[in-house]
Amino acid sequence: MTATRDIVTDQRDQFAFHDDIVYLRETKRGITRETVEEISRFKDEPEWMLQFRLRAYDHFVQRSMPTWADGLDRIDFDKIVYYRKPSEREEKSWDDVPEQIKATFERLGIPEAERKFLAGVGAQYDSEVVYHSVREELSKIGVVFMGTDQALKEYPDIFRKYFGTVVPPEDNKFAALNSAVWSGGSFVYVPKGVEVPLPLQAYFRINGENTGQFERTLIVVDEGAKVHYIEGCTAPIYATDSLHAAVVEVIALPDSKVRYTTIQNWSNDVYNLVTKRAHAYERSTVEWIDANTGSRKTVKFPAIYLRGEGATADIISVAVAGRGQHQDTGAKAIHLAPNTRSRIVSKSVSKDGGRATYRGQLKVAPGATNVVASVRCDALMLDDESRSDTYPYIDIQEDDTTMSHEATVGKVSADQVFYLMSRGLTENEATNLIVQGFLEVFTKELPMEYAIEFNRLVKLEMEGSLG
Amino acid sequence: MTTPTAEPSTAAPRPRGQRRPLDELSLAVDAAALAVASTGDPDWLAQDRAAAFHSWASLPGESNLLYTPYIDLRAARLDAARLAPRPATSSPAANLPTDADGLLETVEGIVTGAALSAEAAAAGVRLTTFAELLAADPAHARTLLEGVGSLPGTDKFAQLTRALWAQAVVLDIPAGVRLVRPVIIRWRLGASDRALLTRTLVHLGEGAEASLVEEFVEESAEGPGTGQSFFAGTMEVSLERAASLTVASLQELPDHLVAFQHRHAEIGEDASLHWAMAQLGGRLVRSRVDNRLAGDRSSVEQVEIVFGSDEQLFDLTSYTTHIGRDTTGDLLSKGALLDRARSYMKGLITIDKSAVGTDSFLGEFGMNLSKSTRSVAIPSLEIDQPDCRRAAHSSSVGPIDETQLFYLESRGIPPDEARKFIVLGFLEPVVARVPLASAQGRLRELLEAKWATGVGGGAKVAA
Repeated sequence: MTATRDIVTDQRDQFAFHDDIVYLRETKRGITRETVEEISRFKDEPEWMLQFRLRAYDHFVQRSMPTWADGLDRIDFDKIVYYRKPSEREEKSWDDVPEQIKATFERLGIPEAERKFLAGVGAQYDSEVVYHSVREELSKIGVVFMGTDQALKEYPDIFRKYFGTVVPPEDNKFAALNSAVWSGGSFVYVPKGVEVPLPLQAYFRINGENTGQFERTLIVVDEGAKVHYIEGCTAPIYATDSLHAAVVEVIALPDSKVRYTTIQNWSNDVYNLVTKRAHAYERSTVEWIDANTGSRKTVKFPAIYLRGEGATADIISVAVAGRGQHQDTGAKAIHLAPNTRSRIVSKSVSKDGGRATYRGQLKVAPGATNVVASVRCDALMLDDESRSDTYPYIDIQEDDTTMSHEATVGKVSADQVFYLMSRGLTENEATNLIVQGFLEVFTKELPMEYAIEFNRLVKLEMEGSLG
Repeated sequence: MTTPTAEPSTAAPRPRGQRRPLDELSLAVDAAALAVASTGDPDWLAQDRAAAFHSWASLPGESNLLYTPYIDLRAARLDAARLAPRPATSSPAANLPTDADGLLETVEGIVTGAALSAEAAAAGVRLTTFAELLAADPAHARTLLEGVGSLPGTDKFAQLTRALWAQAVVLDIPAGVRLVRPVIIRWRLGASDRALLTRTLVHLGEGAEASLVEEFVEESAEGPGTGQSFFAGTMEVSLERAASLTVASLQELPDHLVAFQHRHAEIGEDASLHWAMAQLGGRLVRSRVDNRLAGDRSSVEQVEIVFGSDEQLFDLTSYTTHIGRDTTGDLLSKGALLDRARSYMKGLITIDKSAVGTDSFLGEFGMNLSKSTRSVAIPSLEIDQPDCRRAAHSSSVGPIDETQLFYLESRGIPPDEARKFIVLGFLEPVVARVPLASAQGRLRELLEAKWATGVGGGAKVAA
C-alpha cells in the first residue's frame, strides 16, 4: 500500500472519550412498571403523561421483537439504565453550564465563532437537556426551541395536542419503549408565517456505559412557516452494547416547509433504532436529510405521510457501513392525498465486511390521485467481504400514479481510480475522492461546516479499509 | 423415516367473526391423503413424499420474511375440494400437430394423448408420464425426480405438491439432440371441488436444445360440486452443459380455479434458459420461479406478463441466484390490471460471493387501468460480490402514456382503439417469445378478448 497522507489520519480519538460525571439521579438497571412510574415522578409530570407512558410500557412488554431485522435479540433490556440525570436544573446560559460538560463539547470541535451564529443550542448530554440558549430574536418572533421536558411544562396545550399523534406508542416495539421512558430531545414550535432565518441545531451525546438514550423530539411548524433543524451525534466508544431508541415527530401544517438534517455517528457499539415520521399537510414540504455512518446497527426509515393535497416529500438517505456494522436504513413516502409528490434518493457504501441495506416503502393509497413519485437507490461496495441489500416496497392503488424506481449496485471503477492516480493522487486518496463524489447528493444539501465535518467523517471511516 | 405428525389444516371450525390468516390455505389435507398418494410407490418415493409432507406441515405460508405481508390466500374457498385420485398409467396415442415435435395432453391429470415425431423418438427423446418411466427405467426415473432441479425446501406449497402429487410428466432430451419444433404439454382443467397436484420434470443433456409450450386451458367437465378447484403444478428443469431451453407458458384457466405454480431451474455451465409466461386466468394465482445459475457463463431470460381483471389476484415471486462466474440474468415482469385486479410482483436477485462478473437486471412494470386496482412491486437485491458487469433493477407504475395516445390519435386511430394498442403493446414482449405460431396467435386472441370484456364489461380505463 502506498503511503497515506494526513487526509486519512485517524481522528477517532477526537470522538471517543467520556468524562466522569457524577450522576445525581438514575433509575435501576432494567425496565419495570415501577421504573416508568419513577421516571414520571422524577420529572413531576402531569397525570396524562404518566398514563401515556404506562400504556406504552404495556404495549412494549406484549409486543414481540420484529423478526425481519436480525441481530436485535442481542439487546439486553435488563442491562440498560433508562433514566439518568446529569445535573439538577436546566441551564439558562452557556456560563452556567458545568465546566466538565463544557469541556466535552469543546472536544466535539464546535468552533467558538460558530456558536455565535447558532440560532439556539440544545445540547443533549445523556438523558437531559443541560444547556439551552435561545437567541433573543428567536423569542421575539415567537419561535419556541427548548428541551422536550421543559416544553411539557411551559407549553402544555400545544404539547398535548400534537405529542404522540404522528408516532403512537403502538407503532412498533421501540417506539413503545421510547414512549414509556422518554427523556430529553427537542421541542420546536414555529408560529404562523415565521421563517426561522438560521438552522436550529442540537448536539446529542451519549455518555456513560450502558446508558440508553431515549430522546423525543417534537417539531410543529404552523401554516406558512419555515424551519431547518439539524442534529448531529457523536458518542464515546465502549465495549458493551448501548441502545438509542428515539422518536421524532414532525407536523408540517399547510404551506409550511421543514427540513430535518441528521448526521449520525454513534460509536460502533450502539444499537440505533429510531422512528422518524412527519405528517405533511396541504402544500407543505418536508425534507429528511439523513446520514448514518456510526453505530453497530441502525434501523431507521424516515417517513413522510403526505396527508394534504399538494404536499411534497423529499428524502435523502446516506449510509456508510464498515466492519461489524449493519446500516438498515431507507425511507418511506405514504401518499394519502391527491397531487402529492415524493422523491427518495438513497446512497450506501459498504466495506470491510459491513452490510448496507436499503429498505423503503412507497405507497399510493386509494384516493391519492395524480401522484408523482420516484425512488433512486445506489450502492457502492468497496470489497467482496461486504454486503449490499435493496428491498424496496412499492404499492400503488390508484390508476394515474406516475412512479419510477431505479437501483444499481457496483464497485469503485478501476478506470476512475487509475485516472486520479495518473494525476498524482494515491490510491487511497483517489478512492476517498470517488466515495465523496458518490455521496455528494447528500453533502451538497448540508450547511458548509457540516459538509466539511461529514467529509472528514467519511475519510475517517475509509481509513484502514483500503490496501 | 419418521411418521409425519401433521395436524390437518382444517382441524377445528373457526369461530364466527374470526378472520382467516392471510397465509392459510383452505384445503383439507391430512395424513390419510399422504397414504393414498403414496399407494404403490417404491420405498424411496414414499419416503420423499413423507419428508415433504413433514416440511409442509411445519412451514409457514410465506417463509421469506421480506414478503410475509404480501400473501393473501383468502380468496381460495377450497373447503369442499377433494384430492384427485392417481390416474392410470396408460397413455393413449394422439395426433401430432405438424408444427410440433411432441404433444402430451391431459384432462384433470389423466393423459388423454401423447405423441412424438419420428425424429424425436429416434433420437431417444422421452415424453411420458413418470409412472411409465419408473416402470421402464426405475434408476433414471429416480435420478430425474431427486435431481438437482428440485423444489425449494422452504416453500410450504411446493412441499405440499411434492408430497401429494397425483400425476407427473417427463420431458427428457438426451445429450446433443436438437429439436427443431416445440413440444406441447397441455393441461385441461376445470372440475369443481377438485384438488389436483402435478409435477413436470424437464431434463436436457449436454448440448441439447428444445422449446416447450405449456398450456393451461379450461375443460368444461363437470366436477363433483359447484365450488372452486385447486391446481398445483411444478416445472422442474435441469440443463446440463451448453443445453438450451425455451419455455412458453400460457395460463388461461377459468375463474373458479386457484392455481399454484412452482418452477425451478438448475442451469449448468454455458447453458441458457428462456422463460416466457403469460398469466391471464384463475381466481388466485400464486407463482414462484427459482433460477439457479450454477454453471459458469450460464444465463436466464425471464419474461412474464399478467393481464388481470375482476377480482383476480396474481401473486408472483421470482428468485434468481447467481453462483457461477460470468452468469447473466435478465428478468422482466409486466402487469396490466383492470377492475379490482391485484398483482404482487416480488423479485429477489442474489449474487453469491462466487459469482464474479455477473450481469443481472430485474424490471417490474405495472399499468393500473382502473381506480380499484392495486399493484405491488418489490424488486430486491442481495449482493455479496461487487465485481459485476451490472447489478440493477428498475420498476415503474404509470397510466397509459398521454404522448403515445396523442401520437396514435394523430394518425387517425380512435381513442379506444389507441388505448388497446398501447396496452397490448405493453404486453407484447411475452407474445413475441412464444415459439409456436398457433400458440402465439391464441395468446393474442386471448389478450384482445380480455381487453374487450374488461373494458366493454364496464371497466373505466383512464388515459
